[in-house]
Amino acid sequence: MKKRHEQKLVILSILMILALNLPILLLFDNPKALFGLPIIYIYIFSAWIFSITITYIILKRYYE
Amino acid sequence: MSSIGLLIILIIYVSILFYIAHWAEKKQNSKWVNNPYIYLLSLAVYCTAWTYYGSIGVAANSGLNYLPIYLGPVMIIPLWMIILKRIIRISRVNKIASIADFISLRYGNSRFLGALVTTICIFGILPYIALQLKSISETFHIVTKTPTNSNVFQDSTTYVCIALAIFASYYGTRYVDASEKRKGVVTAVAIESILKLVFFLIIGIYVTYFVYDGFDDIYHKSTVLKDFDKKNSIGGLENSINWFFLCILSMFAIFLLPRQFHISIIENNKESHIKTASWLFPLYLLLFNIFVFPIAWGGNILFEGQGLNSDTYSLLIPQFFNNNFLTVIVFLGGFSASISMIVVSSISLATMLSNNLLIPYGFIGSLENISQNKNNKRILLSRKIGIFSLIIISYIIYRVFILDYSLVSIGLVSFVVIAQLAPSFFGAIFWLRGSKEAAVTGIIVGFIICFFTLLIPYSFGNNNEFVANGYFGIRLLKPFQLFGLDYLQPIPHALFWSLFFNLMCYLSISVSFKGNYRERNYAEMFVNIDKYIANHENAFIWKGTAYVSDIQKVLQRFLGEVRTKRALSIFNLKYNVPTDETMADAKFIKFAENLLTGHIGTASAKILISSVSKEEKISLPEVLKILEESKENIIINKKLTETSNELTKITSQLKIANQELIKKDVEKDEFLDTVTHELRTPITAIRAASEILHDNEDIPQEIQKQFLQNIISESDRLNRLIDKILDLEKFETGKQKIYISKNDIIKTINNTLENLKQLIINKNIVVNFLQKTTIQAFYDEERIVQVITNLISNAIKFCPENMGLIDISIQENKNFIEIKIKNNGKSINEDDFEAIFDKFYQARNQNIKKPLGSGLGLAICKKIIEHHKGKIWAENDKIEGAIFIFTLPNYNVTEISL
Repeated sequence: MKKRHEQKLVILSILMILALNLPILLLFDNPKALFGLPIIYIYIFSAWIFSITITYIILKRYYE
Repeated sequence: MSSIGLLIILIIYVSILFYIAHWAEKKQNSKWVNNPYIYLLSLAVYCTAWTYYGSIGVAANSGLNYLPIYLGPVMIIPLWMIILKRIIRISRVNKIASIADFISLRYGNSRFLGALVTTICIFGILPYIALQLKSISETFHIVTKTPTNSNVFQDSTTYVCIALAIFASYYGTRYVDASEKRKGVVTAVAIESILKLVFFLIIGIYVTYFVYDGFDDIYHKSTVLKDFDKKNSIGGLENSINWFFLCILSMFAIFLLPRQFHISIIENNKESHIKTASWLFPLYLLLFNIFVFPIAWGGNILFEGQGLNSDTYSLLIPQFFNNNFLTVIVFLGGFSASISMIVVSSISLATMLSNNLLIPYGFIGSLENISQNKNNKRILLSRKIGIFSLIIISYIIYRVFILDYSLVSIGLVSFVVIAQLAPSFFGAIFWLRGSKEAAVTGIIVGFIICFFTLLIPYSFGNNNEFVANGYFGIRLLKPFQLFGLDYLQPIPHALFWSLFFNLMCYLSISVSFKGNYRERNYAEMFVNIDKYIANHENAFIWKGTAYVSDIQKVLQRFLGEVRTKRALSIFNLKYNVPTDETMADAKFIKFAENLLTGHIGTASAKILISSVSKEEKISLPEVLKILEESKENIIINKKLTETSNELTKITSQLKIANQELIKKDVEKDEFLDTVTHELRTPITAIRAASEILHDNEDIPQEIQKQFLQNIISESDRLNRLIDKILDLEKFETGKQKIYISKNDIIKTINNTLENLKQLIINKNIVVNFLQKTTIQAFYDEERIVQVITNLISNAIKFCPENMGLIDISIQENKNFIEIKIKNNGKSINEDDFEAIFDKFYQARNQNIKKPLGSGLGLAICKKIIEHHKGKIWAENDKIEGAIFIFTLPNYNVTEISL
C-alpha cells in the first residue's frame, strides 16, 4: 500500500476518535427515540458503520 | 433442566468442537482452514462472556458504558493494516511466540523484562479467566435451577472447570515450538465465534420480536422505568472523560491482551488476511451490540425490582417464558464465548510462563545436558501443567475473591493491568530510543499503582477502612481518589494514574541514559522492519568467537539431529557459506537463536548460545556505525542488483553478437573454400589442355585450336571470377564508387536483354517486357546493367527447359521505381529469402545443388542496390516461379522539385 493511502486510514482513525468522544459525542447525547433506539445509540452505530464502509473502500481500492 | 442432562449436552458439544479441531489440524493447508474468514472469526475471541452476558448487565444497570470496550477497537482498527503488519513481520522473522517475547526482545533480549511482562500478564489475565469460569458456573446454575453450593467439591461446576482445564492443557500443547501455528485450536475458536454470535442474535430477535413488538415497543415500555433517561445518555463532562479513558483502555487491549496478540500475530498465516479482518471484525462487533439494548431493557421491564442479576437476562427471559430450548442455546453460546477465551489465553500464558519465566530462570541448566526427546517432553509437560494450574488458580480466584462482582468490572481490572504494557509495547515499534531500564521501571511503577488502586480494594472489598480514609490513614492515598482526583470512576482513575506514571518513567528514563548496544540493535530491527524483512539476519550485530560445531550441539538437543542438519544446510545455502566453515558469524548466531526461540523463548535461547560462544563487547557508537553501514549496504545492494540486471542484458546481447561473429567466421572459411575451388576448376582445365599440347606435338591442327580456345575461355572465366571477388571486396570495404547520372531504365533493360539474346534463344525462353515509354532515373548505368544482367541470367538459369517464361515489369511509385523480374521456374524456400543474398550462399547448400554461377552475383547486386539507396528482395509467385524485385529512388520527383 502506498504511503498516501495508508495516511487515509490514519485520518479515518483520528476522525473516529474525535467523533466518538467529547465534545462531539455530547452533541448527540439524547435518550429520545429514533427507530426505537435512543438517538445516542443511533449516532454511535452510524459512526461505526461509516468507519466500516470507509475502511472497506480504502482497502479494496488501494491494498496491494 | 437437570444437571445431568445439561452435562451430557455439554459433553456432546465439547466433543464436536474437539472433533473439528482435530479435523482442522489434519487439513492444515486446506482452504477451509486457511482463509481470511477463519482469521477474522478467531479474532472474535475478543468477545467473551463479558460481551455475551456482561454488556447486557451494564446496559440494564448503568447505561452506555459497555460500548467503549468495542468503540476503542473500532477507532483503532483502520490502523491495523499499518501496525499489525509490522508486528507480524517482526514476530515472524524473530520467531516470537508471545507478547513477552516481543517486548523483551526489543529491549535487548532481556530475561528480566520477559519475566516481568509474563508476571503482569498473569496478574491481569487470571481474574479474566476467573470471570469466564464465574459466568459458566453461574449460568449453569441458572439453567439447571440449582443454587451455587458453598462446598466447592459438591458444586458440579467445579468438575466442569477441571474437565475444561484438562481439555485446554491437552489441546494447547501439541507443538514444542511455540511459534508454530495451531490450526486446530484456531478453527475451533472460529467456529465458536460463529456460534456465539448466531445464538446471541437468535435471543436478541426472540426478545425483540417475539416477547415484545419490536424496538419501538421496548423503548416505549421502558421509558416509564426509573432512571431511563439517565441510563441512556452519557451524562455530563465527567462521564464523558470516563468514556474517553475506557476507549483508550480497550484500544490498548485489542493489541496487548495475550490472547489477542496470539491470535492476531502468532496465528496469522498471511498478511493480506488483515485486509478482510479490518472491516469485517468491526462489523462482527457491531452485530454483537445491536440487540444489547432490547435484551437489557426487555429484561428490565420484566424483572424490575426483583433484584435479579441483570448479567443473565438473556437466560432469564426465555426461562421466564418456559422456553427450554432457547435457554440451552443461549447457555451454549455463552459457554462457547468463555471456553474459547480460556483456551487461547491459557495457551499463551502457559507459553510465556514456560519460555519467559520457568525455563530461563529455572530449569535451563538441566535442559542443557539431556537428550532432545527428554527436553521436548519436559518443555511440553511444563506447559501442560502450566495451562492446567492457571485454570485451576483462576477457579480459586473466582471462588475466593470475585464471587460478588459483575463480569464487566472484573474484566476492566484485567484491562488496566495489561494496559501497563502499552508504553513499552508501542514504543518498541515506533521509537528507537526507548530503553530497557525505562520499560522495566515504567511497567513496575504502573503496576504498583494498579495494585493499590484496583487489585487490593477489589480483593478485599470496597467497604474496607482504607478505601474511605486512604492507605495508612493518609487522605491523599485513597485508592479511588489518589492525590485527590475524585471525579473519575475507579477504573479510569486507576488507568490514568498508572499510565501517567508509567509513560513518564518510560519517556524520561529513555532519554536520560545511554542505551545498551544490543537494545539499539534490536530497536533498529523493530522500528525499520520493512528494510530488514528480506535478510534480517544481516541486521544482527555480534562480534566474538564461536564454533559452528558447538552451536550445532546445542541445537541438536532441542531440534534433533535431522532438523538441525536441514536448518544448517538451508542457512549455508541462503548466505552462501561453505559447509566446512568452522567459525560462526553474527548471522549464524542470530539464526541459531531464532531456531531455539520457538522452543524455549528468546531469553533462554540467548543464554544457551552465549554459553557456547564468547562475545566481545561493542560500544554503542560502533553499533550505530555498523547499522548505518548496513543501511547503506542495503541501498548499495539494490543498486548492485540493478547493475547486474543491466549486465545480464548486455551479456545476452554480446552472446548474440558473438554467435553472429562465429557464423561469419564459418562463412568466411567456406567462402575461401569455395573461392579456391572455383579458381581451381578453370586452372585445372587450362593446365590439362596446355599439358596435352605440350606433350603431344603431333596433334592435328583442329584439335590444337580447340584446346587453345578452351584455354582462352577458361582464362576469361577465371578473370571474371577474380573481377567479381575484387568487386565485392571493393563494395565491402567501401572503396567502390558509383557514378550516378540521368538514365532511362527502359533503355538500360533493353540493352541488357540484347546482350543476353543468345542465351535466351538457346533455351527457348519467352521474355515479356512491354514497357515502351521512358522512365528516367538517376543511377550508375554500368552497375545497374550488372544487376539486371545477373538477375535475368539467374532467371534464365532457373527457367524450365521448355516453356520458359520471364516477365519484366516496372512500376513507378511516388518515391521510388520498382523493377520486377519474374521466372516460371522453381520457387525459393521461404527461409532462404534473405540468405540467397549472402555471398557464396550456395556454398552452404552445395549438397542440394551444384552452383551454376560464382555464388557472388546476388551479393554484389545487393551491394550495388544498397549503394543506390534502394532495396532488393525475393518473393515467390502465387502460382509458380520466383520474383526478384529491386527499387531505385525515383529521381524524377527530385528533379521536378529541384
